[in-house]
Amino acid sequence: MTIGTFILKNALRNKRRATLSILSVAVSLFLLTTLLVALRELTVPPEGEGAALRVIVRSKVSIANSLPARQRPIIERIPGVEAVSPFSWFGGQFKDEEATTFGQFAVDPRTFKKIFVEGKISPEAYQLFETDRQACIVGRITADKYKFKPGDRISLASTIYPVTLEFKIAGIYSGSVDDRNLFFNDKYLNESIGDPGEVGTWWIKVRSADDMPHVISAINHAFENTADEVRAESERAFQLSFISMMGNIKLFIGSICTVVVFTLILVAASTMSMAIRERFRELAVLKALGFRRRELFTFILAESFGLAMFGALLGVGGAYCLYTFGNIAHMTNGIFITSEVTPKILGAGFLVASSLGIISAIAPAIAVARMSVVNGLKTLD
Amino acid sequence: MALPITYNVRNVFIRWRATLATILGVALVVAVYVLIQSMAAGLEKSSQNTGDPRNVMIVRKGSTAESSSQVKREQFKLIEYLPGIALDAKGRPLVSGDVVVLITLPRRANAGEANVMLRGISPAGIALRPQVELVEGRWFTPGKREIVVSRRLAARFANFEVGGRFKTGGKELNVVGITDGHNTAFDSEIWMDADEARSVFDRENYSSVLVRSASPEAAKAIADRVESDKRLPLRAMLETEYYASQTMTAVPIRILGKFLAFAMSIGAVFAAMNTMYASVGSRTREIGTLRVLGYRRRAILVSFLIEGAFLAFLGGALGCLISLPMHGYAIGTFNMQSFSETVFQFRITPLLVVKGLVFSVIVGLVGSLLPAMRAARLPVISALKSV
Amino acid sequence: MAGENIVSIRNLSKIYLQGEINVTALHNISLDIQSGEFLTLMGPSGSGKSTLLHIIAGIDRPTGGECRVQSVDVTRLNESELADWRNQNVGFVFQTFNLIPVLTAYENVELPLLLTRLGRNQRRHQVNTALELVGLSERAHHLPRQLSGGQEQRVAIARALVTFPSLLVADEPTGNLDSQSAHDVLGLLQTLSRSGKTVIMVTHDPKAAAFGSRTIHLEKGELSN
Repeated sequence: MTIGTFILKNALRNKRRATLSILSVAVSLFLLTTLLVALRELTVPPEGEGAALRVIVRSKVSIANSLPARQRPIIERIPGVEAVSPFSWFGGQFKDEEATTFGQFAVDPRTFKKIFVEGKISPEAYQLFETDRQACIVGRITADKYKFKPGDRISLASTIYPVTLEFKIAGIYSGSVDDRNLFFNDKYLNESIGDPGEVGTWWIKVRSADDMPHVISAINHAFENTADEVRAESERAFQLSFISMMGNIKLFIGSICTVVVFTLILVAASTMSMAIRERFRELAVLKALGFRRRELFTFILAESFGLAMFGALLGVGGAYCLYTFGNIAHMTNGIFITSEVTPKILGAGFLVASSLGIISAIAPAIAVARMSVVNGLKTLD
Repeated sequence: MALPITYNVRNVFIRWRATLATILGVALVVAVYVLIQSMAAGLEKSSQNTGDPRNVMIVRKGSTAESSSQVKREQFKLIEYLPGIALDAKGRPLVSGDVVVLITLPRRANAGEANVMLRGISPAGIALRPQVELVEGRWFTPGKREIVVSRRLAARFANFEVGGRFKTGGKELNVVGITDGHNTAFDSEIWMDADEARSVFDRENYSSVLVRSASPEAAKAIADRVESDKRLPLRAMLETEYYASQTMTAVPIRILGKFLAFAMSIGAVFAAMNTMYASVGSRTREIGTLRVLGYRRRAILVSFLIEGAFLAFLGGALGCLISLPMHGYAIGTFNMQSFSETVFQFRITPLLVVKGLVFSVIVGLVGSLLPAMRAARLPVISALKSV
Repeated sequence: MAGENIVSIRNLSKIYLQGEINVTALHNISLDIQSGEFLTLMGPSGSGKSTLLHIIAGIDRPTGGECRVQSVDVTRLNESELADWRNQNVGFVFQTFNLIPVLTAYENVELPLLLTRLGRNQRRHQVNTALELVGLSERAHHLPRQLSGGQEQRVAIARALVTFPSLLVADEPTGNLDSQSAHDVLGLLQTLSRSGKTVIMVTHDPKAAAFGSRTIHLEKGELSN
């Protein structure tokens, strides 16, 4: 028997307690990892391939305010602008779902394909989209969820516009960071609402990264002091402003994480200290046999660290497997579509486990240090 | 026949070093549960609180919120003279057409931007909403670019104080007064003159129409009449019903709360289990003695279950206690339905406290079941012999 | 009634399994104990004296034979019946006192009475009587840790007496006491036996055995001499 197996045998002496300790660490770390993954998904939106060269233009009043269609030629004339498309939120309800989980947008199919470069779709399908006014294209995730096929007809009742429109699915696209959305022809929308000559927002592709700053300022400038002032910003900035609208969600989830970690450490540390206190007698015997304090500390630390790490493997590892190999869109019904367990998150989990291992060892270590052999042997409890 | 409860209670306190961590653990789990549920309750309450049962809210059919609804001028005129509508002192129908616009404004302390719900409202409209009270400054003057803001929003957004001004739609608005919506949805709105709003934001149509009737029954009749009128593609319901249905944002919060409570309670159950196993382990001789004295297995089982439940209950009580200071604390969140910032308060009701305590007792019972069974099954003699 | 047999044991055996080996703790023991006796069981370690005591007290079962206490064959009672029987008929005194640490002396003595239907006043009366008998009335509200070893054991004896059982059974009652306290406790047991209680005591100490009225020796599970 080596020191290592001695420690192992000791730890597993009370299998039930060891199991409970490991499981409680595992469950709490699984929860922590889940919270960190969810937090990241909510606050760090995935960056689309083409996003670096795209600009969103919305009304300065708010995104809910519309912009006049006559702004388009003015924007198109700005040097550095490659393509401009209307991009209007339809807000449609599908069947009688209370909350529809996929967005629908009215766009100009001709320019849209130049902007939405990461969406992959067959050329024939897209041709149909361009030519048939009632056609639409749908993302793979939504198509899978509702089992849509090209040729299907679907009906959506807008909560924003006073219309219900029927669309024919021309094709299914995939390859973007959000394969849930539906895109249709904005001419169809305009016809149906009596052509008010408005769009929700403009979606713009710039020629190169260098062009981005001056295009943005040119657009903002072009409509300054008009009846329809705009806010143009990079797509990334736009996504982040949405998140900032959600207020202190970071703070909220962050504080829950802190509470979870604190509870975990508290509970698991006391459990492990309890386990060690029970074995004072043995530790006293070891001391009598000649083991030094330092070696006893090592035993204690090795055991608590080992239990904590095992728990971490189960909890963090389990979460990693679930979120990396599982279909998160399926599991959350389309609310979350990606769930990346980054090295940073893994690191945080294992860091918490290590701290736990160390903290749990502190109280027993102090008690062992203070214990005289005679008193330790007397311990009957 | 049972062991006296004092036995269990005293044991929990005597073994405080071992039980403290578990009590704190349960306390934190219950606190998280209570706080999150109280957020949802606060959101729902401010919706349910809102509205006068005699008022009828009319929006476009198919829209889910005022901000995305349009009611045309002609439709407004048809509504104005419907039978059953109450009249004011001068004999004019108590009807108000509002213009609701979402505007993006900066929060205080550089905390980013958010959408604020602006309501262009007529003097009649103010009268129809007696829940809103002016607490500072004065009401806006019709014809001027003046605005009053709710007290709760004033705490959160820049320039929202009497004398403050901000720009939107290319025009500058002056803040002349502060209102208190008394814990209703109006706590999340800012108001200005309807005609001014229409001119600033270039709106032809109204967003919604609010109508006062003589009684709640008369209100129902007016709502039915509007909905069945083929000329009016509108949706009508009691104002109280309209706001009561705007609680969708509370749903994900409740789901989050239940999920978190469940997940954290697993850890708490393990903690309780461990504590109780240790308790049983250190009292085997005691248990044997009780058996010798004539106490049956079941009495031992029940005794340890009670001890575990009591232990967890202490944690639950502590958890509720540390949550209580948050009652009434105002927070804001992005409301999916109105698409704007909604302010509400944490609301800890007695029922929620009871739920928290019951939850903690269940955690204690589940956690001590196996240890209690172990205690009950101890053979008498080995219990006596144990060290 | 003094003089009658209160305990009748016939052909009592106890064999138990330790690992893979059959161990004979008791072999064919037959014994009569009269009411009012102060009987000591003596023998070396492993002689079966404690096992015999446990069977008489109803906390262990023999593998063969019978044991009648006041004409009740305790070996035929089921577990619940045994629990009730013990509560009413046996008072057990342990070497390690076994008082409940969180309960006061009064509450410890009251414990067996909580299993009866007696009302609070009746219980109080019996507890106070028992405490008086052992001379610890002023310590009624002290916790065990506030008592000396000798006082703890006397509280334990009070607890054993509180239901007025017919049998008082003691397993090495003075093993954890200093000689003065041991003397006091043994004297107390003697007094109780002289006033009519039947006392059965296991001990390895001949000086303690001297307090009894009769001594029996056990060796390797059998009665010797």
